Amino acid sequence: MRLPISAGLATGAVSLTLYPLFAEGAWFWAGLGVLLVTTAVATLVSRFALPPWLAPVGMLGGAWVFLTVLYARDDAWLSFIPTKDSLLTLAEHLLTGFDDIQRFAAPVPANPGISLLTAGGIALIAVLVDLFAVRLRKAALAGLPLLALFTVPAAVLNEPIGWPAFVIGAFGYVGLLVADGRERVSHWGRAVLVRRSRTTTTADAGKLALSGKRVGVTAIALAIAVPALIPTLVPAPLFGFGVGNGLGGGGNNVGIPDAVAKLSGQLTQPVNATVMSYTSADDTPRYLRIYSLDVFDGRQFRPSSLKGRPEDRLDEGPMPPVPGLSPSTPATRTETTLRISDEIEELRFLPLPYPATQVEVDGDWRADRSTLMVFSTRDEAAGLEYRVTGMDLRPTYDALDTAPAAPIEVQSRFLSLPRGLDPRIQDLAYEVTEGAASAYQQAIKLQEWFTETGQFAYSLQTRGSGNEALAEFLLNSRAGYCEQFASAMAVMARMLGIPARVSIGYTGGSKIDGRWVVRTHDAHAWPELYFEGAGWLRFEPTPAGGGGQATARVPQYSLPVTPTASPSAGASTAPSPGATGATGPDSEAARNLRELEDPFAGSSGPAADPGLPLYVKILIGVGVALLLSLVPALMRLVLRLWRRRILTRAAGFGSAEVSTREEPESHGWTVDEIGSAADPDDLPEADPAKFTVPAVEAAWAELCDTLTDLGMARQGSETPRALGRRLTERYELDREAAAAIGKISSAEERLRYARTPAQAAPLAEDLQVARAALAATVSWQRRLGAVLAPVSALLRVKAVGEGLLDGFDRLEGTGWRPWRLWRRTRPRHTGRTGDTKKAEPAADRPLAGTRRW
Amino acid sequence: MAVTHGADADVDAERLEDLVEVAHRIRAAIESVIEGKGDVVRLTLTVLLAEGHLLIEDVPGVGKTMLAKALARSIDCPVRRVQFTPDLLPSDITGVSAYNQQTREFEFKPGPVFANIVVGDEINRASPKTQSALLECMEEHQVTVDGVTYELETPFMVIATQNPIEMEGTYPLPEAQRDRFTVKIAMGYPEPAAELEMLDVHGAPQPLAKLDPVAGTAEVQALIRAVRAVYVSQSVKKYAIDLVDATRHSTDLRLGASPRATLHLVRAARAHAALAGRDYVIPDDLQELAVPVLAHRLLPSLEAQGQRRHPEQVMTELVRRVPVPDTK
Repeated sequence: MRLPISAGLATGAVSLTLYPLFAEGAWFWAGLGVLLVTTAVATLVSRFALPPWLAPVGMLGGAWVFLTVLYARDDAWLSFIPTKDSLLTLAEHLLTGFDDIQRFAAPVPANPGISLLTAGGIALIAVLVDLFAVRLRKAALAGLPLLALFTVPAAVLNEPIGWPAFVIGAFGYVGLLVADGRERVSHWGRAVLVRRSRTTTTADAGKLALSGKRVGVTAIALAIAVPALIPTLVPAPLFGFGVGNGLGGGGNNVGIPDAVAKLSGQLTQPVNATVMSYTSADDTPRYLRIYSLDVFDGRQFRPSSLKGRPEDRLDEGPMPPVPGLSPSTPATRTETTLRISDEIEELRFLPLPYPATQVEVDGDWRADRSTLMVFSTRDEAAGLEYRVTGMDLRPTYDALDTAPAAPIEVQSRFLSLPRGLDPRIQDLAYEVTEGAASAYQQAIKLQEWFTETGQFAYSLQTRGSGNEALAEFLLNSRAGYCEQFASAMAVMARMLGIPARVSIGYTGGSKIDGRWVVRTHDAHAWPELYFEGAGWLRFEPTPAGGGGQATARVPQYSLPVTPTASPSAGASTAPSPGATGATGPDSEAARNLRELEDPFAGSSGPAADPGLPLYVKILIGVGVALLLSLVPALMRLVLRLWRRRILTRAAGFGSAEVSTREEPESHGWTVDEIGSAADPDDLPEADPAKFTVPAVEAAWAELCDTLTDLGMARQGSETPRALGRRLTERYELDREAAAAIGKISSAEERLRYARTPAQAAPLAEDLQVARAALAATVSWQRRLGAVLAPVSALLRVKAVGEGLLDGFDRLEGTGWRPWRLWRRTRPRHTGRTGDTKKAEPAADRPLAGTRRW
Repeated sequence: MAVTHGADADVDAERLEDLVEVAHRIRAAIESVIEGKGDVVRLTLTVLLAEGHLLIEDVPGVGKTMLAKALARSIDCPVRRVQFTPDLLPSDITGVSAYNQQTREFEFKPGPVFANIVVGDEINRASPKTQSALLECMEEHQVTVDGVTYELETPFMVIATQNPIEMEGTYPLPEAQRDRFTVKIAMGYPEPAAELEMLDVHGAPQPLAKLDPVAGTAEVQALIRAVRAVYVSQSVKKYAIDLVDATRHSTDLRLGASPRATLHLVRAARAHAALAGRDYVIPDDLQELAVPVLAHRLLPSLEAQGQRRHPEQVMTELVRRVPVPDTK
């Protein structure tokens, strides 16, 4: 009875780990229902002791009927008896489910097909678990189907399963094992817990179960806590980002091996192959962005994880809203039709003009909400033709100049820089932008510096962009290609407090035969800077034309304004000059305030430094582990020093006591006999207790701990006197050491058992002598172990752990057990209370110590 | 069980030293007769000071009676010896009311129990009826004959000997009766060296005749009072209970020790501590006395019997298992 239910519970618990796979909760009810049906069938088979083979058959049948009711009711006879039609409907659902699963990336919508598939799978697992655990009585083996179920989310998601899910699943399995154990015991008869005494009963079934539970709880706790405490080595594939967080290389990952390397590779290719071509309604070339890189690790920009939610699928509707763009920013609608060349390999991202508002394309393409990158986990872009509706942003000078500070989430993500960047770069950034009154003006000055005043040269020879390479590029060589220009400007912008990122894609290309053709040599990288209201704006620091990126174009808004242009631009946004004038200083103040508050905002980001080399991480991990392992040693040392202090204090008091005792004798009692009548009694009585008692206790405790550490621990039944005798005899201690140990143990003996404790406490020196003599009798390895991993401290830690477990047991003990209550209040039982009462003394008889034959 | 406190602790300590001196004298006197049995002699003294009774069980000829007699002789006090035989009657122990022709009244003739030390030789030869008459006296320190109660002397100690070999025609003490003896000891054969010396020194026909009393009744009474004043801390009392309790729950025993055993154990521990010159009991006293005081009251379980595990062994193991108290 208990076992089939536990099996069902275990399956249910593990099924809960499937939840991240689904976007909606409908599958849950289907799964729950099918689990209830199968468990009910299994329970009935057990209850009425039907032949075991009936259980899997019955469970499958039950699941079938249930799923028919749920998904093919209309075709079933009496809406629940499966018929040929209903079977066909189910099969149809199954096929669509398979199709959908192939098509969608997780989290998937819970449509009937997928729900049916999931419920069927759960039913199958439930049957297997029941078969193993209940029918074959191999509960441990039931872990295999459960593990299979458990690996599904792990394999699909590439994401570690959340610990609550793990805990639930693990408890489900442990519960199954416990139930199996109980069932096994009950086969031998009714489990009678003979509690003969609270202390001495040893072979008790309850205790056995208790230790089993303890093992289970401890194992689960460790499984969760240890990985959380140990610094993990995160495999960091350079560009391995996909649906999940980019860990591992599962089947659904979208991997582009190093976009930056690919970029320079394309630029240096001798063959200038066509990548794509496009036409646009206004016949204007547009930069086509593929990737947006937001994390700067000190060497280069790389992307953070992408999220492609099902509701952001492109065939479900328009693109997600453009981040940071306000409707008041002037923009014109553009339409572009792109065709990707057939030869492009493994491109799972769509090149798009930024910002795009709608993309009409075939396949499961999804947009990442924050960057508007469009990607797919299944389809490739090669040969694809698609239509993009976008916007041509024409922000006004004034709007940009007075743009308020970016939202905090944008700042935290796009202002972060690693530590350890050359401080001269920041100085340079401020120097270059000197005199700029706003972030926008700073951006313009930066771009101007890169393209004109900075005397940069375009060269494809420089490769890579390491930490020093950036400084080298900016401060010395001033020669590089688009990637360096883009990264350098983005980094400097971040230093100035302007959110920035690097985009990689293609320039607008060149017009051939009425179409814009983009070739591999048009591959490009450019920075995008964020201005509230306009969103992300492209800047172009790379030299254009013959001496640079041939097809690069500098956007209009990024050019320095001439005095005449300014009023006209201002006039265009004239409706609210006062408002814009007021927000100007505000935003400036806000930005300054932020810089004050966050000292890292300008130079390095608040995000954790991702640029730590692997071996440093390993070293840190090893170091932390070492430190952790030394905690007991430290505890022990602190305890020892503390006890030593108690001893020295008591010794100090001992000498002081002599003088106070002599004083009254010299002065006599007569001076104020009434007032001090209580004192003379108190003085010798109370004070020694105050100092010598803790000293004796400390010395004894220290001696015992030392013995434990050295592996000659005191037995529970060993008296202080016997201990001293044993040590002296077995370890052949010299007389001095024996006397020291004797002093400590006899003081402790007196303290414990005599009417009054000894007058003199053992000294710190006694302890020292004893310790040294004892340590000399063991090997040096043991001595080292006693210092580095003292057993006494470890035992103390263990005691704390056991206390926690005891608490857990007590919790369980006080747990509300409704069935017991019910049993107790059953009227049938009251008739038998007489019997139980009579039986109880009989059970107690061994307690009283009478004969037991 | 008066326990003196505080101020006169020092006085006790001084008195204790004197009394220990007396005890040592008695011990030395006995040991001059019984060679090489220091432990046995000390236990015997412990029982005397604990106001208990002693059961000596061993094969014939190892000096059981000699020990009893030596103790009796070294103390200057009335000693009576009863040789138990199957035809011995209870009135032979307690005494009888005889009709006095002259006074025309019934007159009480005190039996051998009216002495400070009573040596009961081969107690297992007497009928159970007679045995129980003696045991009643031991427990209650009084004799009731014809409705009149007569108090016994103080100190009052019964030293009974028992022969385990001859089983025919004997009535071994049932466990309930054995419980009344504070300590059961076995003499054991002497060491070869001790035996040799015995032949040399005590070869004389009457070694006991040379033994002079070394202490008087008053001294022994003072000793007993001092023993009563020995301090037993709560934790040691608790330890005694733990030890006894352990015998009640051991799977090797089908009968554990009684509460009377606890009482005897603590009393004996007091005497043991006093003999060591200590005015407080430590767990070591209890550990040393656990086997002689408790083992003879225990009945081994069938399993233990099958494995030839004697109660003595079981008790030793229990002592090793029960933790000593760590607090005051």
